[in-house]
Amino acid sequence: MDAVFDALGDPGRRALVASVADRGTATATELAAELPVTRQAVAKQLGALADAGLLRATRIGRETRYAVTPRPLGDAAAWLVEMGGRWDDRLAALGRSLARARAAR
Amino acid sequence: MELHVERDVVFPAEPDEVWEALTDPERLEEWFATEVELDARPGGEGIFRWGDGEERRAVVREAEPEERLVLDWEDGGEVVLELEEVDGGTLVRVTETSPDFAAALELHALAWARPRCAGTRYRSFA
Repeated sequence: MDAVFDALGDPGRRALVASVADRGTATATELAAELPVTRQAVAKQLGALADAGLLRATRIGRETRYAVTPRPLGDAAAWLVEMGGRWDDRLAALGRSLARARAAR
Repeated sequence: MELHVERDVVFPAEPDEVWEALTDPERLEEWFATEVELDARPGGEGIFRWGDGEERRAVVREAEPEERLVLDWEDGGEVVLELEEVDGGTLVRVTETSPDFAAALELHALAWARPRCAGTRYRSFA
C-alpha cells in the first residue's frame, strides 16, 4: 500500500482522483480542460495514480480513459481524499477560532 | 489495512489557548463539528454531529492537557492531536487513522452489488 500513500500524498493528485470519481471516467484532455495545467502534466499524474492502483486505465483509440479502481481500494482512496480535505478545512477554521478568541481577550 | 491522514500546522497561540479550542465543546463547535458533546478526560465520551446528519461517537483514550488528546472512534478509527510549543506559537499535529479496511472487506463485498452503500460517508465517491 506504500504506493497508495505516495500517490495520494499530493493535494493535486487527490483532487484528480476526486475529479475522476465525480465524472465516473475521464481522460487527461477532459481534466486538463478545467485545470490551469497542461494535458501532459495531468497525463503524467494520472499515470502515477494508475501505477499505484488507484485508477484503472483503459486505452480507447489514441486516448487513455481512467476510472477509479473498484472497492475496497476505492474506499481507501475515498477515505484519504475525504478525511484529508476535512482536516484541511477544520484546521483553517481552528485558526480562525483561535484568532477570534485572542481578539476577544 | 489502515490509512493515515497527517497534518502539521503552527498556530500563533499559546498551548493553553489551543488546548481550550480542542477540548471545550463550544469551541469545538467553531471548527470541528456543528454540535459537540465532549468530556475531555480519559474514558470520557464524545458525540459529534454535522449539518448533513452525520454523527460520530468517540471515547477519550488519552488527555494530557496542552500536550496530547487521543480519541477512539466507535467505528475503529482514531484521532491523535499533539501540541508542541514552538517559535511563533503552537504546533498542532493531527493524525487520523482509518478503520481497518481489510477487516471491513466482507462488508464491502456485501455492499458492492449496490450502487451506493446507505450511510456511506464517502460522498464524493458515490
